[in-house]
Amino acid sequence: MRGKMEPLPPTSPDPARDRSDRSRVLADQVELLYRQAPVGIVVTLAIGTVLSVELHSSAKIGGWVIFWAMLMVFMCLAFTGLVFAYRHARNRDTAPDSWLRRFAIGAFAAGVTWGFAGAVFFPGHTDEQQVFLAFVLAGMAAGGLPLFSAVWWVYALYAIGVMFPLEVVLLTFGSRLFTELSFMMPIFFAINVAVAYRLNMVFVSGYRLRVSYGRLTEDYTEINQRLERQLIELEEVRRQVEASGRKLALFAERAPIAVIELDTEGRIHEVNREAENLFGYPAAELIEKRASIKILVRPANHEEFDRGWQNLLKTHESLAGLKISNPRRDGIEVVCEWTVTPLVNSEGSVISIIAQGRDITQQLEADRLKQEFTSTLSHELRTPLTSIIGSLQLVNSGVLGELNADQAELTEVAERNGQRLLDLINDILDIEKIESGKLTLFPEPMPMDELMSESVKLNQGFADRYEVKLVTEGVRNIVVNADRKRLLQVMTNLISNAAKFSPAGGSVEIGMEEKSGRVKVSVGDRGAGIPESFRNRIFGRFAQADSADTRAKGGTGLGLAICKRLIELMDGTIGFDGREGGGTVFWFELPVHAPKT
Amino acid sequence: MPATPLERVFYAEDDEDIQRIVRMSLERIGKMTVKVESDPLKAIEGIKAFKPDLVMLDWMMPGMDGPTVLKTMRQQPETASYPVVFITAKATQKDHAELLALGAAGIVSKPFSPKDLPEQLRAIWAGLP
Repeated sequence: MRGKMEPLPPTSPDPARDRSDRSRVLADQVELLYRQAPVGIVVTLAIGTVLSVELHSSAKIGGWVIFWAMLMVFMCLAFTGLVFAYRHARNRDTAPDSWLRRFAIGAFAAGVTWGFAGAVFFPGHTDEQQVFLAFVLAGMAAGGLPLFSAVWWVYALYAIGVMFPLEVVLLTFGSRLFTELSFMMPIFFAINVAVAYRLNMVFVSGYRLRVSYGRLTEDYTEINQRLERQLIELEEVRRQVEASGRKLALFAERAPIAVIELDTEGRIHEVNREAENLFGYPAAELIEKRASIKILVRPANHEEFDRGWQNLLKTHESLAGLKISNPRRDGIEVVCEWTVTPLVNSEGSVISIIAQGRDITQQLEADRLKQEFTSTLSHELRTPLTSIIGSLQLVNSGVLGELNADQAELTEVAERNGQRLLDLINDILDIEKIESGKLTLFPEPMPMDELMSESVKLNQGFADRYEVKLVTEGVRNIVVNADRKRLLQVMTNLISNAAKFSPAGGSVEIGMEEKSGRVKVSVGDRGAGIPESFRNRIFGRFAQADSADTRAKGGTGLGLAICKRLIELMDGTIGFDGREGGGTVFWFELPVHAPKT
Repeated sequence: MPATPLERVFYAEDDEDIQRIVRMSLERIGKMTVKVESDPLKAIEGIKAFKPDLVMLDWMMPGMDGPTVLKTMRQQPETASYPVVFITAKATQKDHAELLALGAAGIVSKPFSPKDLPEQLRAIWAGLP
């Protein structure tokens, strides 16, 4: 799975967005002001020209009229410049405040220009012209409404510019009519500003709606885009899951072991081809039936199976090496070794159970045959050998009468080789037992001094034959925890080896020392030593330095291999060292027995 | 230790070659009187008739194995008290423990040495109460 999905935009309003919305509404208002400005400019030019012409024709103050006309044209040009600048500005939307400020100054200047006309031209003209002027000014004040009321106070500034100078003139003129008029002017102003304010509000709410709608559309588009991205991701993830699912299915389908998927009630959901082959059931006969796994369990074992099943569901622990005899469709039973794994989801409940089984019927049969062969070897070979060796021993003992030299030599050869054959059989049985893990040791606390004297006694005959003395040194009463019979076997092996390879008249030194919780027993000879090339395989099976030795010295080549395994089974180590002055020391170390307190 | 020396041995063994070797060993080297029986089913009757000092039994015999012969002996008053020594190819400590638990006086492992067999039997004999 890839990263987590991005969250959808929040639906609650946030202050930053609110602020930006307000500035967008303001920008819209300012835009409207500038959009309508050209109309105002054209109307101003037209009415200003008519007024100038009318006043100039009859004026005593024609110079002022010309000045005013020029002022008006200049103001219109300046305003046009401002509008032009606004239209080409890049920061219209980002800085509506400053554009509004410039516009407000312009509007005020326009108002003041008309106010100037009222204040300067009103007193010096005829009554008719005064009425005309008052109309024009009232018209200009009212006409500003549609142009400026997008922002009400811009209109108020403009209207003050138009009306205030005339108001001052009317108040100070001295005529009763004009005084009354001057009282009505502020009312007119107030009504106009109020209208402007209401228009302003209408604009603002309209613009707000527009912005909100735009926002909605934006949000909607964004949500849509995100949904689209997430859909693409989902699709990608689905493809990945599908691909790994296919891969897994392929593994299971082609696997040379039976794979069965079950639910917690023992209903089989899927089996692979090997399972069909192994048990002889087509998948359809196994799948989706209640507790169908029991088809593959002997009825006699159902109760035991149920117990194991409940335990599996309770502990969630997978089981391995489960040997179960499974009936096939044709009634023949096959023994399978099962691995059963519950699949647990993140909430801790079992979603399915995978059972993998390997047919071990033939392997068990092979094991049985091997064991049978081993026990046959043990009994059927040893029995005749007992007779052979026994007979020869009796003959060689002389109790049946003396043989001549040639006869005696031959019967001794026969006895010795019979013995060798027996040793070989015993060694092979030992190795077989050790390597199949079937050798059981019977460790007991054993005093080493007893072991030493017993092994010397046991091997004295052998040593005599090779004319070798057995010498013990450093013998102390140390107790080890060891299998008596097997440790004697090790000692016999080492001592007889040492005796065999010692020169006649030499001695085999059997030593003992204790070092940091371990006792080390060594058996040293003065033989030819161990050839370099042989050292690393001396503890291997059928290892003898020189195959000619086998004939000359006897032995099976298994002795040291057995010793090594036996010592290791007793938590010890075994090894050998060369001796100064020739010869070899074989040694083993065992932990000293720590009696329980 | 019994007051009298070991002189009469009854031996049940189906393998005639081994019978011969044991008999020769005990008679020639051990100077004992030996009675052998090949059929374990006749062993009880043989013991009753021969009245040996000690009985030697093979473990594996056709018809009835050595331990069963021993159990049968123990059930009959006439044969119940004879000391019994097993001579067997079964060599594990477990096997030996089993025989001693049945009441065997001793065990001789096959293959045995005919030279040493009389000595071994006398050692067991000497250890008896």
